Amino acid sequence: MLPNNQVRVSSTQVVSQTVCSDITDKFTNAASKLSTGQLVKDEYFTLFEAVGALEIMDSRMDSGYIGPGENQAQALEDDYDVTRELTPEEVLGIMDELLCHEMAWHMGHPLSQTLFTSLYLDKLLWPVPKTVEEARFDRANTNSEKEWSPLLHLVLRAYCLALVKACDFAHDRIAHEYYYEEEDFVTQLYNRTLLSQFDMAHFVKLIDQAISWIDQQKGTIDDKLRDAIKCRLSLRRGLLHALDEDEDIKTKSTEHFTTCLPHVSSLSESSSLGKRIPEAFSEKMQRKLASTVPPRPIVRIDFEDALAHLKRLCQDAIDLREVLDYRGPHNFRVAIWTLLSRKPQPSVYIRALTQALLVNNTNVLGSIPVKDFLYSDLTELVFPSSVLLQSNTDETEMPSDPRFQIAKHMDGFVKRFRQPFVDTYRCACLNRCRVRRTLCHTVVDWDQLQMEAEDLDEQLRTLSREPPLPLPNGDTTYSYPLSSWTYHQKLCQFRLIIELGFELSIYSPEELPGMYWYLSHICSTHLGHIDRIRTFIASTAKRNLSSLIGKKRHALEQQLAAQRSLRLLERLTTQIVAIDAFAISLHALYVLLVRHNILPTASSAQAYSSERLRYELRMKPFLPVSLPELVPYEEFRREAVLEGDSDTIVLDRATRAISEARKAWEATLAHGPFLPDSDGKVNKAPAIEEDWKRDIKDTMKACIGASIAIESVKKALAGRKDSSDPPSTPIGLRVEIPGIGSNARWHDWWAVPQVSPAK
Amino acid sequence: MDTQQAVQYLDSLIGQTLRVHTTDTRLFVGTFKCTDAARNVILATTHEYRYPSPSAVKEVASGANDPEKRSSGTADSQNVKANMTSRLIGLVVIPGQHITRIELEETPEQVKVREVLQKS
Repeated sequence: MLPNNQVRVSSTQVVSQTVCSDITDKFTNAASKLSTGQLVKDEYFTLFEAVGALEIMDSRMDSGYIGPGENQAQALEDDYDVTRELTPEEVLGIMDELLCHEMAWHMGHPLSQTLFTSLYLDKLLWPVPKTVEEARFDRANTNSEKEWSPLLHLVLRAYCLALVKACDFAHDRIAHEYYYEEEDFVTQLYNRTLLSQFDMAHFVKLIDQAISWIDQQKGTIDDKLRDAIKCRLSLRRGLLHALDEDEDIKTKSTEHFTTCLPHVSSLSESSSLGKRIPEAFSEKMQRKLASTVPPRPIVRIDFEDALAHLKRLCQDAIDLREVLDYRGPHNFRVAIWTLLSRKPQPSVYIRALTQALLVNNTNVLGSIPVKDFLYSDLTELVFPSSVLLQSNTDETEMPSDPRFQIAKHMDGFVKRFRQPFVDTYRCACLNRCRVRRTLCHTVVDWDQLQMEAEDLDEQLRTLSREPPLPLPNGDTTYSYPLSSWTYHQKLCQFRLIIELGFELSIYSPEELPGMYWYLSHICSTHLGHIDRIRTFIASTAKRNLSSLIGKKRHALEQQLAAQRSLRLLERLTTQIVAIDAFAISLHALYVLLVRHNILPTASSAQAYSSERLRYELRMKPFLPVSLPELVPYEEFRREAVLEGDSDTIVLDRATRAISEARKAWEATLAHGPFLPDSDGKVNKAPAIEEDWKRDIKDTMKACIGASIAIESVKKALAGRKDSSDPPSTPIGLRVEIPGIGSNARWHDWWAVPQVSPAK
Repeated sequence: MDTQQAVQYLDSLIGQTLRVHTTDTRLFVGTFKCTDAARNVILATTHEYRYPSPSAVKEVASGANDPEKRSSGTADSQNVKANMTSRLIGLVVIPGQHITRIELEETPEQVKVREVLQKS
């Protein structure tokens, strides 16, 4: 993944001594000589580009346009006096509206349509203040006779400045990580700054001053209002600290985000006390922003929605700390993917923060070198012979020594694989659509990596003198640890691409039978591969045991590590069996629905799309992949429609598979999300564990839903047999596939049809 | 000026910095990219300049922004200097009917080169 490549136009013009000459007449005269449609243009300037030009004096395009009848002064200054005195109710109203805008910005709307429409913020931020003291509402009239109102000049100002600084932290965090501009977030600042030049201490001091002033106003300001304003100021202070120290891995502190949560809850109770001032926000502010886009309306979101977003953000940030309790790459992967697959997906700020914590320079989670991280994952999954992982050129300096050569090969492996491997974790931090798209690309990269790993395996095998393993049929084979590990990664990605396809509603109903068949096909391929890995681990463990007699301690450690790997494989097997069985069952159920013409279809009978074309489209990302081999269309079709099997056989298949699936999911749930350490310690991550369990339980609900649907179809088919109808009679059932987000869709990855008697 | 000369002249302006004034008194400064018979002008990396608003003029006149000026007494004189506000707006097309004045902005070196070329 490459960093976002943004085009930044320089915002300052170089002013040198220039000479200006009036060419109006000459220009007009010359232009009039052109014939209609004739253009004089820069040879590299295309009409395509010209389409993107803003038309000046067109109210829809030109943000600086002031319409006829609009007074120039009014239009620009907005006729609202930001230095006028405010009542406590009004201050409260402005604070809450600003919070709405701040959250709208976090949700991905540009500043020009949210915070920068505020006249108060505009006064503070423009012209760019040189000192914090300069960022004030009464910048021009310092000598004005107006009374200095602390409610405005201390309280609201402190709130606004702390808000802007919090935005600065968030902006900085997101802009430094991988995100999609305009899709996830808009980083554009319109040639302003978010006060990044000023130290955090200024803002904390201001907030503290404001809080102590508010505390002294007992009797002058109504208690409820006073509490409400104080609560908002405290929230700002909490957020400021939380966002400032968000990356501090060592402390693992959740304190600041935790202090924000109670404030967020009490905000919703007191927001009704506030009085909104719509004039304090204006779309016309866009006339003052350096912006290359047409004017756009102010984004308005509900205060409750804003609070919900803020609350989720704080909660996600708190739960993110659980990820930091590192117990091996497998557990880490489960934790990251579980957290970032929450619904609704954690906001872009959280996803950026996760990336920052995940990899920093060459360390994972701040302290684990990527090489160790990669080696741990290899050990966990394929448990390669120890000579591969322990060789290093520092200890063995004789180039002719095999260990020296092994070390060199392994260094090459680490160099080549560390980035793609870490990216399998970072990928979770993208938005869900991008996760799938990215996987479609990385799966091809991993195919290439697998070929390279195979070459390495062959060279390492001769160097390490790995004994061959005899097969039952008399042939011999070798373990190929590196390429086995690579293939496993690739198969996981394959599966996720299909599962996300269901989640993102990519497949039309008529594709569901085929796609669930394909999912089960990938699962069974994966199960076969895991079996192969298991065989080699078992034999290595046996060999180690006999060769290490005498070196007891080392032998014991090896034995424990091998046990851990076998336990991991066991868990993976259970989970993949569960997915496989569920997919088989749904496939069979959908085949029956298709056979009896009760499956809804997205395309009409005259549509250009056909089964073959749809299959081609779905397999497109996998075309360049050599392993697992592409299933030819004919074979896919035969398998997908279960050609040659009678309804009874298909029904039986569905029933048996669903009961197997339920058992396997129960076993998966019983295992829990995390693999215990060899000394029996498990991750302490209650919130993530809760999410993970909910996900499995939802899947089990989907299983039950599928059993019910299968029963309904069974009954309907049985009923028809009795009356000896011809096979073409309608089966008398109505099928509905609940969409994503509806209550009846128990799990995003499992589109279980609802079958009911037709009326 | 015949058509060929007209095209040649306009072509020589391509890539130069133009200042285009519009009917609403704004000024656009950008790199000249394209024009046509209706005198529509396309400018790239354009900055929009606007005359200071009455309130900004008042501020300057009272010398509030600049204590030095206040003490030196410039504020008392009839002429005050207020900066035009400017912002970057990128690629724009200015319809010919809204253009009141076009100026060519050159460095003294560019002027010299142009004059030499014109003579030869």
